Amino acid sequence: MTLTDRLTRWRYHYVPDHLLGEILSKRWIDNAVPVLFLGLTLSVFGALIPGFFGADNMSNLLRQWGEFGLVVLALTIVMAAGGIDLSVGSTFALGNIAALALIGVADLPLPLVIAGTLACGALVGLINGVLVGYLRLRAFLTTLVTLIIVRALVDSILLSYAVPIAAAFPDSEPWFFMGEGSLWGTPFSVVVALIAAAGLHLVLTRTRAGWHVLAVGGSRRSAHNVGIPVRRVICLTYVASGTLAAGAGLLFASRLGAAGADIGVGMEIAALTAAVLGGNSLGGGRSSAAKAVIGSVIVMIMVNSLVRMGLTSGANSLLLGTVLLIAVAVDVRWMRNKHKFLSKVYVSPTWADLPVAPPTSAGSPYALNDRLAPVQSIGLGEIDGPEDVILDADDHIYVGNRIGDIIRFLAPDYTRQEVFAHVGGRPLGMAFDSNGGLVVCIGGMGLYRIDKDRSIHKLTDETRRSLFSVIDDSRLRLADDLDIAPDGRVFFSEATVRYEMHEWPVDCLESRGNGRIICYDPRDGSTRTVLKNLVFPNGICMCHDGQSFLFAETWACRISRYYYDGPKAGRTEVVIADLPGYPDNINRASDGRYWLALVGMRTPAFDLGLKMPGFRRRMVRRVAPDEWLFPNINTGCVLRFDEAGEVHETLWDRRGENHPMITSMREHKGHLYIGGISNNRVGRLPLPGADPDWTGMTSYWGQK
Amino acid sequence: MIAAIRCSLDSFFGRGEAAVTLPPLDGALRANRRLDDEGLRRPLPGVTALAVAEGGLYAAAERSLHRLHPDHSWQKVAEFEAEIAALSQAPSGGMVLALSDGQILTYGLAGTGVPRRSALRGITDLAVTEDGTLWITCGSDRHGAEDWQRDLMLRGAGGSLWRLAAAEAQPQQIAGGLAWAGGVMACREGVILSESWRHRLLRLSPGGAREVVLGDLPAYPGRLSATGDGAWLSMFAPRSQLVEFVLREPAYCHRMLTEVARDYWIAPRMRSGQSFYEALQNGAVKQLGLLKPWAPSMSAGIVLRLDAGAQPLFSLQSRADGRSHGVTHAVEADGFLHVAAAGDEVVITLSGDAVKGDAA
Repeated sequence: MTLTDRLTRWRYHYVPDHLLGEILSKRWIDNAVPVLFLGLTLSVFGALIPGFFGADNMSNLLRQWGEFGLVVLALTIVMAAGGIDLSVGSTFALGNIAALALIGVADLPLPLVIAGTLACGALVGLINGVLVGYLRLRAFLTTLVTLIIVRALVDSILLSYAVPIAAAFPDSEPWFFMGEGSLWGTPFSVVVALIAAAGLHLVLTRTRAGWHVLAVGGSRRSAHNVGIPVRRVICLTYVASGTLAAGAGLLFASRLGAAGADIGVGMEIAALTAAVLGGNSLGGGRSSAAKAVIGSVIVMIMVNSLVRMGLTSGANSLLLGTVLLIAVAVDVRWMRNKHKFLSKVYVSPTWADLPVAPPTSAGSPYALNDRLAPVQSIGLGEIDGPEDVILDADDHIYVGNRIGDIIRFLAPDYTRQEVFAHVGGRPLGMAFDSNGGLVVCIGGMGLYRIDKDRSIHKLTDETRRSLFSVIDDSRLRLADDLDIAPDGRVFFSEATVRYEMHEWPVDCLESRGNGRIICYDPRDGSTRTVLKNLVFPNGICMCHDGQSFLFAETWACRISRYYYDGPKAGRTEVVIADLPGYPDNINRASDGRYWLALVGMRTPAFDLGLKMPGFRRRMVRRVAPDEWLFPNINTGCVLRFDEAGEVHETLWDRRGENHPMITSMREHKGHLYIGGISNNRVGRLPLPGADPDWTGMTSYWGQK
Repeated sequence: MIAAIRCSLDSFFGRGEAAVTLPPLDGALRANRRLDDEGLRRPLPGVTALAVAEGGLYAAAERSLHRLHPDHSWQKVAEFEAEIAALSQAPSGGMVLALSDGQILTYGLAGTGVPRRSALRGITDLAVTEDGTLWITCGSDRHGAEDWQRDLMLRGAGGSLWRLAAAEAQPQQIAGGLAWAGGVMACREGVILSESWRHRLLRLSPGGAREVVLGDLPAYPGRLSATGDGAWLSMFAPRSQLVEFVLREPAYCHRMLTEVARDYWIAPRMRSGQSFYEALQNGAVKQLGLLKPWAPSMSAGIVLRLDAGAQPLFSLQSRADGRSHGVTHAVEADGFLHVAAAGDEVVITLSGDAVKGDAA
């Protein structure tokens, strides 16, 4: 190994490049920038203003934030559904004046005052909602008009009732408590805002109503198509917004008791700035209560700190406007480019070096031949991608296909086929359990069992999440192949936790240990991960000792043996370290040895690329996906090996006419049945000299 | 300084010089499979060059010259000491041949002329003008014609154009520093030659001025053969994003050239998909037992018809799943177009619309 190779290996061993893509693919990454900005704001103003972190300043800030936060939450709800509500400032003022009039002039009891004030806000919201939601007016113009009308309404109430309101002195303890009281040392308004934020969080993330709101914001047309009442949802977001804004006005009224003409003026800009700054997308569908809280805290701190530093209110508006512009620009650019960026950085190749590939020339156990030439085709052109093939006691053939069916070809001539079960997902490896139930690994779903009566049972679809993993690896993404131990335990491989079914070959560009082997125990229904960091673990086959199984690691071109019981329990031994191609499924042969499918062959150019991760990374970024250098999975073969790792024979389809890519083979009564994940046929090859009565069922479970 | 900064920025972002984008196969080069679907196919192992002379079709294959018999079989008429590097019809009747060891000789019913020995190596094409002057292109001064892939991957620029007047013994260099001169043709204003690795056709006027007449081709241009009102351009291999990318990765490219056998390089070739040791690309994975025609491929067959101004009119192609790859020569005579597909070792004869270009 050259020095450069060694340095490259260290570099890729110790720098986890793949985490960047994984972090970027998380939803919470949208909040990261606002949180950083909050930290920046705190440190800047904390350094500039003496006593910034003092109790007085904090308590004052908090109390103001309670009301402002409610208004931002109100706006967030509307933005989540893809709308905008400019009338929140006016509604806030209306809530303030309504509360003061109801308690001071009408002299109503407090519960009625609260109900009345909220109803005022809800009414404004309803008008907005009907206009925007049902009559489909433009949200921006509509709420701009409502802003003016409600402001005019507030002014005319002020004209008539300013004097009585100013003269009245409500005699109500709870009223003052709302304004100035504290619960557990926290101002009452803050408690209300926090409860509202928590409520909004729960609604948006955990309830049907919240999902409807986000769905409408994400794509109005799709939401309509799946049956969500789009107009009603939009209308209700405005009602909620109006109610919350009026509630904020109510708190403000009880705190100051003032009825001025400038209350709530310009508040919509501050609230909008806060909402966007927090990361709520203007396009809708990407909103959360946390974003609203973060954004409102930032804006609150900025506005108050500037006032304390003695800047005029003009400068304040200027700053708010500038920040809003920047936030909107970042929001738009981020939304537009995030996927592009993610797709460029997600594939993160690592250093890999394979042993020298054995030759396929004459004299080698892998020597080329045309032994697969006499193969007969079953279901030619009628089956789409049989990854695995298995036969039952009545000689029927079972295969999965690309659209999620388990197809059964009926013995003896296999010209008739039927859908045995529709499972969805992508059926991959299969095995029969001792009762004749078909246990299937389904890509995208997990491990399932289909009984003889065609009933489908989920065995498991999750395992324990590994510590410190960024992506959630608890769900099974790509369950690949399985085998069943004599005691009924199912060992199955999950090829990769980083890619979905249809892009499995891309994992080869990484060649990192992204896969694992998992054990499902039917006795207690538990699932646990047995082996981790395997390089695309694929085929699994039980050894005859009842204590171990063989497994193939496709991109590592090696076969290993793992002991799950007995004196060597927990140990892994390499059986074949240097295959000339990429191994796929392993199955038992009638002579006590094992069949192995090679899905593709190693190529010198790709092997060289494995030692140069930077080359592969740049290729993924620069070159179109269709042009990416791939392992050669257009040519495969079948070989037979024993537990000592010796290869006894190799069967080739040299011209690749019938079986260019082979992912599985199954011996049954003197014939070999061959499947390929992107092929359109099942092959049937007579095996001269093989035991004509041997079947997999009897080999595993004995004569029944 | 600024150029260096821009260069490193380009290579970081994959822009400008570092971009691997290719011109699309559109317009005159719109993808079709007329080379596969039309015409009469006559296999000839090793065929590389063609000439129509004295009423017959001649084909050069390695060291032998073959003549087409009326019963569609090939008859060997001559064998030479070295491989035939280029072949051209002479206006006086008969043919002119260039051998890979530098000999230039005439051949006709009258027999073989006295060879003129030159020091030229790596001859790729030759053209004869009315007055008997020979124009000769050499691909590279470092690599022989058979080692063209290495010259491409090393970004060679040692190609040259030579003129050999009828009375002279030694050729005279007219132009050098070409990135593989792959073909030449005499025209009214001088000569037109194809500069393969820069994907363009150049016109050299007698005064020595170079002018790009057709640039940014999506395949590597090779031999040119004049017809009455234009020319046929054979393009021996398609360009590919992956190859363009590898060309911009000096470290990988260098190791590939030294550690990997030539047949398995990531490089264009006359015929790809022959061995499973060749690198595969994502889009070329067989689906349901089929290789898709639009799959990325290291080889293809493209013949481009040019008008009198060397602008493209239409093309005949063989796509990724085709059987006429690696077109090295196309000559037209008496309404027939003969195409030598070196990759698939076959000579295809087309007529009618395929030659005149009325229907596509």
